[in-house]
Amino acid sequence: MKSTDSSKMTALRIALMAVLTATVVVFTLMVRVPTPIKGYISLCDVVITFSAFLFGPWIAAIAGGLGTGIADLIGGYAQWAPLSFVIHGAQGLLIAVIARSGLASGVPGDANILKLILAGVVGMVVMAGGYYIAGGVLYGFEAALVEIPLNLLQSGVGVVLGIAVSRAVLKAYPPVRSLSL
Amino acid sequence: MKTAVDIADLSFTYRRYGGQAQPDPVLRAVTLSLPEGSKTLVLGAPDSGKSTLSKILCSLVPRHFDGDLGGAIRIDGTDISTCTPWELMTRVTLVAQNPQEQLLMTTCADEVAFPLESLGIERTALVDTVHNALQRWGLYSMAQVNPQEISGGERKRLLLAVTEAIDAPIWIMDEPFDDLDEQWRQLLLSRILGKKGTVVVFASRYLDEFRGNFDTYCHLFGGNIVRKSEEEIVVEFDRECELQFAPMQEEPAELPNHELHCTNLSIVHPRRSVSSDQPFSLSVPEFNIASGEVVALVGPNGAGKSTLSRVLCGLDPLVEGSITIDGSAIAGKGLQTRVGYLFQNPDYGIFLPTVRDELGWSLRQIRRLGTEEREQMVRSCARLFHLDLDDNPTMMGYGARKQLQAAVYYLLDRPFVIIDELDSGVTYAAAFEIVSLLRKNGAAIVIITHDRSFARNIAQRQYTITNGVVSPSEVGV
Amino acid sequence: MTTSTFVAGRGFLYIFDARAKLFTVLLLCVMVFLPIRQTGLWTLVAASFLSAWYATDFKQALQPIKTILFVLVIMILFTPLTYRDGEVLVRLGQFPLATKEALVNLNILVARFLGITYICTLYMWTTPMADINLALRWYGLSYHAALVLTLAFRFVPYIADSFRMIQDSHALRNATVSDGERTGRHRLADLMPTVTAALVVALKSIPHLAMSLEHRGLGRETKRTSYRRLVAKGGLFTHLLLSVMIPTVFWLVFNTL
Repeated sequence: MKSTDSSKMTALRIALMAVLTATVVVFTLMVRVPTPIKGYISLCDVVITFSAFLFGPWIAAIAGGLGTGIADLIGGYAQWAPLSFVIHGAQGLLIAVIARSGLASGVPGDANILKLILAGVVGMVVMAGGYYIAGGVLYGFEAALVEIPLNLLQSGVGVVLGIAVSRAVLKAYPPVRSLSL
Repeated sequence: MKTAVDIADLSFTYRRYGGQAQPDPVLRAVTLSLPEGSKTLVLGAPDSGKSTLSKILCSLVPRHFDGDLGGAIRIDGTDISTCTPWELMTRVTLVAQNPQEQLLMTTCADEVAFPLESLGIERTALVDTVHNALQRWGLYSMAQVNPQEISGGERKRLLLAVTEAIDAPIWIMDEPFDDLDEQWRQLLLSRILGKKGTVVVFASRYLDEFRGNFDTYCHLFGGNIVRKSEEEIVVEFDRECELQFAPMQEEPAELPNHELHCTNLSIVHPRRSVSSDQPFSLSVPEFNIASGEVVALVGPNGAGKSTLSRVLCGLDPLVEGSITIDGSAIAGKGLQTRVGYLFQNPDYGIFLPTVRDELGWSLRQIRRLGTEEREQMVRSCARLFHLDLDDNPTMMGYGARKQLQAAVYYLLDRPFVIIDELDSGVTYAAAFEIVSLLRKNGAAIVIITHDRSFARNIAQRQYTITNGVVSPSEVGV
Repeated sequence: MTTSTFVAGRGFLYIFDARAKLFTVLLLCVMVFLPIRQTGLWTLVAASFLSAWYATDFKQALQPIKTILFVLVIMILFTPLTYRDGEVLVRLGQFPLATKEALVNLNILVARFLGITYICTLYMWTTPMADINLALRWYGLSYHAALVLTLAFRFVPYIADSFRMIQDSHALRNATVSDGERTGRHRLADLMPTVTAALVVALKSIPHLAMSLEHRGLGRETKRTSYRRLVAKGGLFTHLLLSVMIPTVFWLVFNTL
């Protein structure tokens, strides 16, 4: 086994971050579930939750932050990019940290379901709260209130699907464990 | 003469992952010694371990794909197990079979520049090398284009340009002639033959261009490599791949009677490749197929074979003309439930942990069946397609994944099935068996291929796409 | 999926060095939050809109407004309702609909938001991604971080294409004759196979990418050279000077005069 080889880690870590970031971008821009109020909510939170459960805090933070940031740039919401970077980055980081806490081995997604849900809920709060504060600063706290339920819905769907998908992928593609650093 | 590549008693088995049966060794005892400047052709059927061996030679496996490696490889006398890939890059360059595995950058120029930047080549020389390499492979006008937007053949050329720019003394090339048009095949051949250094070409088809051009001929078979005269190797390889054609005389017992008929289709597609300015258009004056038939659809890369298929199975809307099944017009969802489409990449459909689950999923979606009955169908279908019910689909070899993909459509029982590029990546024999099984099940089959000899052996009728028009033609021409 | 944010056009913004331009963007974005006069804010909005119009065309210049229309409407509806202090201007019975302070506040918020939107968008329109990457490197971003950024852009079209094919593949496999209206819960369940397959396809490309990075020399100790470079016409110093002058002049005109 060469997983202790730190030189290989560099390339693998870069590859992991890049591919997961790109996946977040695609899920943010392509996979949209229709909702009555805002039109669409995106599924970026699914991939962020997935990255956190399988690859830990740092990879999830980069994939979540950079992925949603790039999606904002491509989608024509450049002003949001730095804020998304921080908010979704923190979301990915915290989900992984909470899920992983107290776990002796394995990936964070191996934790029991209650802990995964708890981690997900914290992620929801960080995401919705973060956008409330950012929105408040950008265009006033009054208007920013309106977005809270939508953001909770979007990140909530992200948590549910994220948990389901993480478990499905762990079973369908066992080598995923050897990718996690 | 100095030895450039020395492979001694090499064996390799991929690592076993949870829930998976112990994988068979890919390589058992490969021994081969190639002198400096030699040009070697290694013929090997799909899934024979060509790609694995080519990656081991560049010290990329088992570093990035875990497994047990035995034996030793020396490149210019140095044991490569002590080398990192980046140290080895000045000695050996790999051209992978699938260009997507190797592309890194967002423009063609950056792609060629990347390894030169790693080598620390000073800027003026770097710019010159990049431009010359692009020029040689006909990509200069695409220097600023994203490699994701160019065709498969152009991507292959881009990798060849990168390889030439690095200018390492040893080239390991995995199916480098794949996807290249005649003109570029000739150029590649002349670059290989004119090269001072050592070249190893892996191929799963013996092409006319190869004849008499290499000094060493090998056959990779059953995890071992044999080295003989060209004639003997070709005969041996043919015996392995082509002569296993089971004659397809066996008529299905009870043939359903369905007919799909297209008249005056006209399809306009936004252009896919930047190399042509014209929007892509395809016209189909007449196209029909009936139960029990195997029809080939041939044409060069980018001719529109997949575009037509997407319309036929209801994925893309029809702009003009009509499609009828058994006399009544049909479109969209209706077509989707009648015409199956086996994408070239089998991974698109795979998502469950076992073969049993994957096969069962289709039945659950389609029919109201008892558990017992469903299990029975899944089991007999798996047996027909040589699948192990407990195997993990994402971890199976490419050939087995193609068989699983076909098995899924076997169970779905679609009256019409389109199969995209079945022959690339599996042996003729395996492709032939898949087609016979689906046909015996009563399906009318459209085979998309650019391999004319495959078409000749498998199809009863043929349509050819030339200059944007689909017309009937003689089989295998 | 197209990943380019660049919009071909004309004018100074395309010549302005990516590094200096980024600094201007930063300064302007900070400036709108400082106590600058409302006329200043609106002049900035007008100036950036006109720049966008000149650089591209009218239709393109309107694009950013479309993307924030939803938020703008919410702002106009909610800000006055919730901001109740001060002199009441409009009243519905006993209920104060809008106060003077609320409208002033709304005015500042709208102008600020429009300003930031246009400034950031203009930067993306007029600067090629490769140049942005080089600019960030100049500001101290590590090579590895810049590489992650480039590779992410490389993989977006690949994963998007794969995802589209996966959706098609599953649509064909799951197509049934009696397919009535799908409920929301079903639609979510339908996503599972495609999302799982897409993630597996993405994950499978990771070891290949790591492998190719090393095969192309990532990890070598020799100092990397660079094929691309930023060239500031007339010297980088001039550009940087300009990048400070533009916001400063704005500030002086609208805050002291």
